[in-house]
Amino acid sequence: MDIGDCYVGWATDEDIRTRGASGGLVTAMLAAALEKGLVEAVVVLKKLGEFEAVPIVTSDPEEVKATAGSMHSVPIVLSRYLEYGTKVALPAKPCDARSTIEQSKRGQVDIDTTYIVGLNCGGTMHPAGTRDMLDVMYKLDPEDIKGEEIDKGKLIFETKDGEEHAIKIDELEEEGYGRRESCQYCAVNIPRMADIACGNWGVIGDLAGKGTFVEINTDKGIAILENAIDAGAVEITPADDKGKAIREKVDGAMMKVAAAADEKYLSPIEGSHLDYYMNALSDCINCGACKTVCPVCACGEGAKCTEFSSASDTYKMSLFHLVRFVHLMDSCIGCGQCTDVCPVDIPLTHIYRRFAEPMQEEFEYKPGMDMTTPPFFGVDLIEEGH
Amino acid sequence: MNENIFTTVCPGCSIACGMYVREKDDGTYDIDWRKDAVVNAGKLCRFGVRLSANLKAAVSKVDGNEVELSDAVTAAGNAIVDGAAFVSVGNTTCEEHLALMKLAESKGAVVNTGMGAFSSIPAECHSTMGVGVPLDAIESAKKIVLFIDPYEQYPLLVRRILASKKNGATVTAVGWKAVSLADDNKTIDPANYESELDLDNDSVIIAEINPSTDPERVMVLLNLAKASGAAIMFMKPFVNAVGCDLASKKTEQKSLDQIIAEINDGSIKTLVCLDSDLIEIMPDETAVREALGKLDNLIVITSRASAITDVAKIVVATEPLYKKAGTVVNAEGRALVGSGEGTDGIDVVGAMMGQPVGMYDEVHAALLATLGIEEVDERVVPEYEKPDYAAMDANPTAEAVETALVYAGGPFFWNGMVDDNDFVEMNLDMVTASSLLKGIPARIVSDKGEVAIKYKVSDVAPGVVLSNVKLPMTTGMVTSVTVSR
Repeated sequence: MDIGDCYVGWATDEDIRTRGASGGLVTAMLAAALEKGLVEAVVVLKKLGEFEAVPIVTSDPEEVKATAGSMHSVPIVLSRYLEYGTKVALPAKPCDARSTIEQSKRGQVDIDTTYIVGLNCGGTMHPAGTRDMLDVMYKLDPEDIKGEEIDKGKLIFETKDGEEHAIKIDELEEEGYGRRESCQYCAVNIPRMADIACGNWGVIGDLAGKGTFVEINTDKGIAILENAIDAGAVEITPADDKGKAIREKVDGAMMKVAAAADEKYLSPIEGSHLDYYMNALSDCINCGACKTVCPVCACGEGAKCTEFSSASDTYKMSLFHLVRFVHLMDSCIGCGQCTDVCPVDIPLTHIYRRFAEPMQEEFEYKPGMDMTTPPFFGVDLIEEGH
Repeated sequence: MNENIFTTVCPGCSIACGMYVREKDDGTYDIDWRKDAVVNAGKLCRFGVRLSANLKAAVSKVDGNEVELSDAVTAAGNAIVDGAAFVSVGNTTCEEHLALMKLAESKGAVVNTGMGAFSSIPAECHSTMGVGVPLDAIESAKKIVLFIDPYEQYPLLVRRILASKKNGATVTAVGWKAVSLADDNKTIDPANYESELDLDNDSVIIAEINPSTDPERVMVLLNLAKASGAAIMFMKPFVNAVGCDLASKKTEQKSLDQIIAEINDGSIKTLVCLDSDLIEIMPDETAVREALGKLDNLIVITSRASAITDVAKIVVATEPLYKKAGTVVNAEGRALVGSGEGTDGIDVVGAMMGQPVGMYDEVHAALLATLGIEEVDERVVPEYEKPDYAAMDANPTAEAVETALVYAGGPFFWNGMVDDNDFVEMNLDMVTASSLLKGIPARIVSDKGEVAIKYKVSDVAPGVVLSNVKLPMTTGMVTSVTVSR
C-alpha cells in the first residue's frame, strides 16, 4: 500500500456495514484503531436524535461503532476536542481536517499522533434550518424523519413509514434553505489534506452504496487502513480508473457550484463599507462565542482581540471584531461555526471571508491544506537567517 | 478516556437556553453549544458561554466547617422548626421546589418565590404574569413594545426581535436607555401608554417581573395588554421562576423585602433558602447581610457556592443543575428536562422530613399534573389557561430623584458576578455637566458610600446612571446619587 493509492472498502461487520454510510468503512476503521491500540481515543459525534449529536472523546470501540451513519444536520467541527499528546483519530470533513492542521501549526495539536480520517463533504445544514425546511418545503413533521442522504444533487429524507422524499438542493437553496451559506461557497470537498480521504464518490457498479472510496494521502493513512485490515474489520479492493474519473468529475462540478456561490454571496459591498460593517456588527452582545468556538483560534484568554477591546469604548463595532477579522485573515477556513453560534445572528463567517479571501488569494495560501505556514511568516524566518 | 456530557439548560435567566455541559475527570466542566435546542438553536449569551467560570460547586458546611452531606442534612433537619420561613426564587427544578413545599407545609409554612408582584395582584392575573408567549410568536408579531433592554437583560431575545423586524414588525422601546434595534425609543407617562403605543392583538409587549418590581407597574402593563388585546410576556431573571410560580400558585407569598423586614423585627428566626442567594438578588447587599446576621438559623440548600453560603449556619450542598433530574419551565411556559439523573436535592429535603429516598417520582408526577401534561416534550408548549381579568387601578411609584443610579439587571447582576461590562452609562449632557474626562473614572456618591468606575456615553434618559453590575453604595434598584470627576 502506497501514498496515492485508491481503494474501495467496506466494514466486515454486517451491522456496521448496514448502519454506516457507504459500507461503514470509516466507522470500522476508527473502532479498529482503538481495538488494536493504534490510538488511545477517537473523537466522534454521538447521535442523540435525528438532527442532534454531541462530540465525544471516547476510548470505547462500541461507542464508536454506535456512531455509524452520516449526519448532515450536525454542523460541528471536531478539531476543538483534540488534546495535545493524546494518540487520537477523528472522522474529518475538510473543515475538521483543515482546522486540525492549523491547530497543529499553533502547537495545539500534535499532528504526528493525530490520525485524520477525511470524509468527502458537499456541505452541512443547521438543525434549526433543517426543521424549518422540512416543515415549509417538504411538508413533513421533523419528528417523522428517520434518515437522510444526499444523492445526485437531491436531499432525500426518509420518513418512519419508509417513504423517501427528495427535493433538488438547488431548489432548496434558491428558497433560502439547504446547506449553510459557508458550505455553499466552500470549494474543498475531498479532504486530501487528511491522512486518508473517504467518501462515496467514485464507487460504482455492484459496490455503489455498499462501499467507500478511499484515497491514501500519508503514511498515517496507510497505517490506519492497514490496521483495520489486519484486525479483520475492513476489506478493500483497488478502485478502478472509471471510479477515479467519476470522483474527480463530481469534485469538479462541486467546485464550480461553490465558485458561483462565492460570487453570489461575497460580491463587492455596495455603498459605504463603514456603514456595512457598523450595521452588521451593531447588535453584538459581546458574548465571545465566536472566539470560543473558532477551530483555528489558539490565542486563549490573553488574546489581542480581547485585550484591546472593551465594551465601554465601543460604538457599534468593537475592536474585538476588528482585531479578529484581521488576525484570522491567514487562517480562517470558512467553517461557519462563528455564524452558527452567534446569539444575534451576525453573519460572521461571511465577514471573515470578506477579509480572508483577498489575503489568501494574494499570497496563494489556503490554510489547513498542509503544514506549510503562511508565506509572510516564511519570509520572516528566511530573513532572520533561520 | 470517557466523558460525562449532560444535556441541560443555562441557569442564567428564564429563557432557559439549551446547552451541553461536558464534565471532566477533575470535576470541572466546559459548556458546548446544543444547536438543536428549540429555545435558542444552540446560541448562548455571555453568561452562558462563560458558565463554567461563573458557577462553582457548593460545599456542605455546619457552623463554617466542611462536613459530609449527611451531617449537614441532619443538622438542617434539626434546625428547621415550626415558624421557619422558606425561599425558592426559581434557580432549581420544579421537583426540588415541590419537595421544599412539602417540607414547608410540614412546618406550617409556604415556600416564597420572592416575587412580591404576585402577592399584590389578583390571582386571576397570575397565569398571564407567569407564562408568556412562545418565542416564535415574537417573530411573527406585527408590533413589539419593549419595557426591557434585551441586549443587557435577555440577550437571546435580540435575535427573535430582529427576526420580527425582518418580517415587517415595528419595535418601540420604552425604558431608561435607547435600544438600538428599536424603530422608536420613547419615554412615556404610564397614564398614556394606551394612546401612545397604539397596540392591537397582533402586538406583543415584553416586560419583566423580578423581586424588586413595583406591582403597580405590572398592573399598568396588564391593563395595557387587556385594553389593546396585545399578548404580554413578563421575563423573569431566574431560570425556573415560571415553574416555581406555577407550582406555588395557590399559596400566599411574601416578597423578599417583607422577609427581610420580618427578620429585622424578629418574627423570622429561621430561614431556609433553596438555591436563592438574597445577598446577590437584593440590591442593598449591606442591609441583607445585616438582616441575615440576626437569624438564629440560616439554612442554605444549594448547588452553587455564592455569597450566602459563606454566611449560612448550615449549607446543604446538592448536585449542580445540569446533573439534576427534573423539570424547568421557561418564560414561554415550555417545560424542559435535561439528561441529569441526580436526585440529591430532593432526597436531602425528604431526609429532613424523615422520608426515605425516592420522592422524585411523586413530585414529578405532581408537576405533570400541574402542567396538565403526561410527559415533558420540549417541542410542545403546554396549554395554559389565562383567565380574563378586570382592569386595575394602578399608580406606579414615580422615581423622583434628580440623578439616579439604575440597575439594568442582566444575568450577571442576578447571579452576583463580576462581568467584563464593569462600567456605567450616562448621556452626554450628564457627562458634560459632571465635568467628566475621557479615561478618568466617574465618582458616584450616594448616602451609603461612593465608587469610582469607568463610564460610557450612551443614549440614556436624562439624570440616569445606568449600571449592569451591582455597586456597593446602592440602596435599591434606583438609588439617588451625585456624579463628579
